Amino acid sequence: MPDVELQEHVDASRGPQPAEPPPGSAGRSWRLREKLREWYLWGPALFVAVGVLIPMVYLVLRAAEAEPAYLAALVVRSRTLELLWNTVALTAGVLAVATAIAFPLAWLTARTDLRGKRLVTLLGVLPLAVPGYVMAYVLLATTGANGTLAQVAGLGVPRLNGFTGALLALSLYTFPYLFLNLRTALLDLDPALEESARALGYSRLQVLRHVVLPQLRPGFLAGGLLVGLHVLGDFGVVSLMRFDTFSYALYVQYTASYDRIYAACLALMLLALTAAVLFLEARLLRGLSLHRTGSGASRLTPPVRLGAWRSVGYLFAGTVTLAAVGLPLLTVGYWMQEAASIPWAALGEALRGSVSASAPAALLACGLALPLAYLSVRRSSPTTHALERIAYFGYATPPLAFALALVFFTLRTVPPLYQTLTLLIIAYALHFLAEAIGPIRTALYQAPPRLEEAARSLGRSPLQAFVAATLPLLRKGLLVSIALVFLSAMKELPITFLLSPLGFDALALKVWSYANEALFAGAAPFALALMVFSAAFVGLLLLREDR
Amino acid sequence: MPQAMRSLFPFLCTAVLLVLTLSACQSDEPANDLVIYSGRSEVLVDSLVEMYRQQTGDAVDVEVRYGSDAQLLAALAEEGDQSPADVFWANTVGALGQATAAGLLSPLPEDLLDRPSRFTPEGGQWLPVTTRFRVLAYNPEAVDGDALPASVTDLPALEQFTGRIGWTPTYSSFQDFITALRLTEGEEATRTWLDGMLALNPNGYASNTPMVQALAAGEIDLALTNHYYVLRLKHGDANVDAASDVAPEAAVETHYFAPGDVGNLALVTGAGVLQTSERSEAAQDFLQFLLSEEAQAFAANTLNEYPLIERAETPAYLMPIDEAQQLSPDFNLERLSELDATLQLLRDADIL
Repeated sequence: MPDVELQEHVDASRGPQPAEPPPGSAGRSWRLREKLREWYLWGPALFVAVGVLIPMVYLVLRAAEAEPAYLAALVVRSRTLELLWNTVALTAGVLAVATAIAFPLAWLTARTDLRGKRLVTLLGVLPLAVPGYVMAYVLLATTGANGTLAQVAGLGVPRLNGFTGALLALSLYTFPYLFLNLRTALLDLDPALEESARALGYSRLQVLRHVVLPQLRPGFLAGGLLVGLHVLGDFGVVSLMRFDTFSYALYVQYTASYDRIYAACLALMLLALTAAVLFLEARLLRGLSLHRTGSGASRLTPPVRLGAWRSVGYLFAGTVTLAAVGLPLLTVGYWMQEAASIPWAALGEALRGSVSASAPAALLACGLALPLAYLSVRRSSPTTHALERIAYFGYATPPLAFALALVFFTLRTVPPLYQTLTLLIIAYALHFLAEAIGPIRTALYQAPPRLEEAARSLGRSPLQAFVAATLPLLRKGLLVSIALVFLSAMKELPITFLLSPLGFDALALKVWSYANEALFAGAAPFALALMVFSAAFVGLLLLREDR
Repeated sequence: MPQAMRSLFPFLCTAVLLVLTLSACQSDEPANDLVIYSGRSEVLVDSLVEMYRQQTGDAVDVEVRYGSDAQLLAALAEEGDQSPADVFWANTVGALGQATAAGLLSPLPEDLLDRPSRFTPEGGQWLPVTTRFRVLAYNPEAVDGDALPASVTDLPALEQFTGRIGWTPTYSSFQDFITALRLTEGEEATRTWLDGMLALNPNGYASNTPMVQALAAGEIDLALTNHYYVLRLKHGDANVDAASDVAPEAAVETHYFAPGDVGNLALVTGAGVLQTSERSEAAQDFLQFLLSEEAQAFAANTLNEYPLIERAETPAYLMPIDEAQQLSPDFNLERLSELDATLQLLRDADIL
């Protein structure tokens, strides 16, 4: 049996540590010098920390403006409890539904002999290209006594709204976060381990429970965290579905009452909830190391033969695809019929704007996520863990608050940067950084540090050793990171609205502009372009993955 | 050598990023920009802005930032003294009232304000530009328009239309109407009205366009909506100009309640000049343009909104402007920003 560390042995901090520096101030400067030497790791980490903490400082500043008595009256009331319950219920519900969709799909595409796996994979990622508000509009337009389903097929489905509506809309476009992470983890599983377990008398089910599932934990947590935080911070779906969560209350506070102060308080409560989720995730991840410690490289896992079950696999993949990709496309296509002509020029300009901000943002986020993930996995310490966690706070900060904070701070520190493409790119990268960390982290957990150590012993500098030995193993993770951030940036609304340069045009802005006036025919070409282009980009990235 | 290259790589990356940042910073706007923050959406007013650009030529470079009223207000508040914006152009009076209360707007000169409009605010800090109205749309094949009530408050009495009325509880204009009802008739009366309407088992729609289409298709007989959704269906729209989309014969008519009834609430759009503007003359010139006959006629003909100057040429299907101006109830429209209590009321009634 190959040696693979699977046990959740000791707490990482109790594991082997580098030689303790001498105590006292000399020790501190020794540590500082160590960090300076690895500036390419600590520099980006510091940048992220500052960038993400700015919005939180801003929220605290705003919340501090509130009258204590007024604030207490607003916060300490039954409604807060109700919001809390609704938010937790929705988050847990979406996680459950998304897992129920993502896990079977990931297993089908990673471990079975299903044909057209690449296509199914692509289709499993595409829902990410559907903006949340479009998904919500689509579900609202499809269901109900006057919905398209009733008109076209005569199906009288009750109108989706409230909890069920929000649950479905959010699950249908966030499950790919889980799907991608689980799939990457499943692909990288070392088959030797499962074979050994089988040889030692475990049944298939026992292997799944005791060998496979534990190894999927980092992937599951990374994806689940994204889904959970996305639900916590989402405005678009809950506002259209009118489900009373923290973020909906926040939305109403900003848009209806124009009240930034109470909104900031709500945002802080939301972040406290985020902190709880992050704490939970960190507990579950503690002391994990899943790479091979034996010599040699792991083989590819032979696919499971589905046999007669194959049709069930197709049926499942087909149903998911139809609901998550087909429904939005069909509905938008239906709107498109009523469009007079396609505004090619405007379409081109909006597309160029979207890509010119989203593509650099995806690269930047990936570039920032790599050192953060590396520090957290390979220089495991409370500091590096905290740094990595911080990125998740940026993700959970409601985008509108995030954008307002950057407006406030940029104008007070570097005014020329305000309303430039650079600022927009940085804002996207910082906000969506968490999406980039997960896949890289998962890949890093599975990349053996021995290779790097070997390269070091052959005289490479740490950076060279990393580039030569580890980086190639991270390619899959890096590509997924880029894809995720790109997709999110393409459809982001509040940040784009507030931070883009004057005269900047983007597909998401156009879609919102039309849809908000109920001109769905006008929104259709832009929504379609947004989804199709995002899909094509992701398709290209994922095709490279398998080479 | 390749080793040296490798260790140089991060430096190179940093340098490239730095250069990019600096170059982005340098694309600073020229001083003669007129910057408009528009809560009115791009699809509606872009052509109007283009018209102004044509008029001013190279003298002024007009730039627009689009967003929602609330987003732009929040941004203006955060920008503070350093705001690049000159004009705030809003979709709702509530937002303009909020901007006034926050001291964001500077008083406008007399020559802009002297146009007679009953919607001009007392403080003179913003200018009403166009108006839309809440109306009751009906299907003339099923409903006798003359038999419809003179006040929206009598609507719950129409038991014959049980299950045949449409409304849009989540739509902002509907909520504005409820706010006006609350402020003019009182909270208790509003509650009773909502309960009475609920007893008629109304059909809730997510947005107005499908509701008006359902009305034309005979699925419902009455619909509480904004006047332009009816006109858009029958006479088209600047942006949805497909011939197939215009249905002048569609079985949809507009019922206005008696002049002054809260059911005819005016949803005024307007604009003001920001305190921080260093180009207030150019900004005022833009406001002047919004009130020009040309711009007002554009709003009437392509957006189906009511102009606020009487000389503007309007399509035949709009009612005369002076008549339209008398429709709305008499109360301070800036109070439409008091939405919180309205939402609570709607939630208590299980409508939201």
